[in-house]
Amino acid sequence: MRRGGGVLRSMPLRLTLGLVALFTTVSLISLAATYVVTQASFDQALRDDLKQDMAGFRAAPNAAALAALVKAEARETDPDRMVLSYFAPNRRHYGNAVIARDSDGYRIVTPDQTEARTGGAYLALTSSEFGGQLTIARSRAEIDALRGVFLNILALSLLPTVLIALSGGLYLARRGATHVRVVSRALDRLTTGDLAARVGPVVGWSDDLAQIGGKIDQMAQAQERSVAAIKQVSSDIAHDLKTPIQRVAVHLDDLSRSKTLAPAVGSRIDKARTELEGVASVFRSLLQIAQIETGSPAARFAPLDLRDVASRCAELYEPTASDSGHGLHIDLGPAGAVPATVTGDRDLLMQLLANLIENALRHTPPGTNIHLSLTAASGSVVLCVRDTGPGIPAADRNKVLQRLYRLDRSRRTPGNGLGLSFVSVVARLHDADLSLTDAAPGLCVCLTFAAYAGQDSGG
Amino acid sequence: MKLLVVEDDPTTGDYIARGLREEGNAVDLVADGKDGLIQATSGQYDVLIVDRMMPGLDGLSLVKALRGAGNQTPVLFLTSLGSVEDRIGGLNAGGDDYLVKPFAFGELSARVAALGRRQPPAEQETVLRAGALEMDLLARRVTREGRDIDLLPREFAILEHLLRRKGRVQTRTMLLEDVWGISFDPMTNVVETHISRLRAKVDKPFDGDLIKTVRGAGYRIDA
Repeated sequence: MRRGGGVLRSMPLRLTLGLVALFTTVSLISLAATYVVTQASFDQALRDDLKQDMAGFRAAPNAAALAALVKAEARETDPDRMVLSYFAPNRRHYGNAVIARDSDGYRIVTPDQTEARTGGAYLALTSSEFGGQLTIARSRAEIDALRGVFLNILALSLLPTVLIALSGGLYLARRGATHVRVVSRALDRLTTGDLAARVGPVVGWSDDLAQIGGKIDQMAQAQERSVAAIKQVSSDIAHDLKTPIQRVAVHLDDLSRSKTLAPAVGSRIDKARTELEGVASVFRSLLQIAQIETGSPAARFAPLDLRDVASRCAELYEPTASDSGHGLHIDLGPAGAVPATVTGDRDLLMQLLANLIENALRHTPPGTNIHLSLTAASGSVVLCVRDTGPGIPAADRNKVLQRLYRLDRSRRTPGNGLGLSFVSVVARLHDADLSLTDAAPGLCVCLTFAAYAGQDSGG
Repeated sequence: MKLLVVEDDPTTGDYIARGLREEGNAVDLVADGKDGLIQATSGQYDVLIVDRMMPGLDGLSLVKALRGAGNQTPVLFLTSLGSVEDRIGGLNAGGDDYLVKPFAFGELSARVAALGRRQPPAEQETVLRAGALEMDLLARRVTREGRDIDLLPREFAILEHLLRRKGRVQTRTMLLEDVWGISFDPMTNVVETHISRLRAKVDKPFDGDLIKTVRGAGYRIDA
């Protein structure tokens, strides 16, 4: 349906339809005009013929001669072509037909076969001659036939043209639609962040779309280069700052080991070390996200059981959660349920889930619950972490996936603002669908993975 | 132990060498990959500590060359690169362990100690002991002073890990790697809470703490 709509909306077909409509209209108008003119001139000729005929009969010297003339002519005249009728003063009728009048109007009746009516339209001329009434009518059948001739001309000239134009337009439209599809697919991928997407050279493209495709590829390449440059610069900065950070850590460590240190200074140094560890952790996370974005960890992907990842993570965090007054509930489905196998990187997925749980622990007050659930059904595995805390306002849900974005109310809680961007990047690497929804109350983060289909079924 | 530190940053190199010497090791420090390779092949070292990124011959090539020459001295890589990829790359090149900058000295020291005393596995013991504590690996049973201690599977695993490495400090990250198989660093104090649960069962009801906290480094059960 969408495809058909696409063809109908396409430029070539719309142009073709417009041209066909214009051409048809002009042809129809000119044919109609020709028809009207021709018909008028045929009518005129008929009228002239009738006047001529009438003049011939008027040449008769008296009523009897006229009657004889009409009678003689009528014998040789086919009433379908021409009707001659003369009501003489003696009330006798001469001619090959009678013009009768009834409730339907005028009609022509042949005298010998009173029932059979002569059909068709006639042009009649009546005149009073020698006390009688002479009527001459000529059939308009030829003029009527003219309409048929014109319709034939119309059909023979217009139909093939319209058909050829339409099928040509349709062909162009389909071709165009295919090209547009290729271009828009590349643009879709570019928009969703896949900067390696290209329209690429396509065989048989020689039109404007191919040029546009080439331009898009040039643009994408430039974009990819500059993004890579930016990423490289941020990676370089993070790298270059690691050695100074290490040196600061060295000095702080040296200081803390000094025997002559006052206790107050010692605790200050410990604070500085904690802060420094925070800085280092931001750099580590930034570098890790940058590395994941290049897609290289995908090379290590292997089938793994997400249920196992989830239960290990839950087990790891259970004591921490209970210490901070949170209830950590896990629902991994019934034992022996559908295997929750997905293709991915175990370390990254474990870290992803750890981030979600830590996020929930940090941003919800004690006494609230955190639910970790896993459902495997119909080709997909859904992993959800739901809390009953304050949630995230709808307007901020996309922003929290951005690097270093933090909600105002979270500024005082620990964390580096990279947890959810890490989740988002890892989800994208795994082609998993990430959704943040309102759990009323609380936040529900769900990841939908495609279930691993197994080697033999082409997964 | 006799140790070689190959590190091009003088501040870091000096700090490592000094700290390791204070712990009673003999430490040689070189600031260049080529010198490091020559030194490593000529001297008899227990552990090499090699920075991965150095001008000239980098750490990865150094270790590859060393292993190519048949030298099997344990190697701890130091690096400012921190991803799993880099870690795998380093371990594939013949490194035995991997430490990401910035690191705490306690972490470095614990890892060097683990590498240096890496001995061929002795015959499999089935009962591990520390003081009055006994861990029967076959019966999955732990007693102290003859009283049964009921441990969860993960607590059992942590205690077993510490008992097998008696006298050596085990850092948070080492426990995460070995007990949980996790190579990332959780932000929260998950290891600490697990340890305190374990302590509540193993140490609290008894006199004398077996599981010691080593400040700035990790945990240890004394030999």
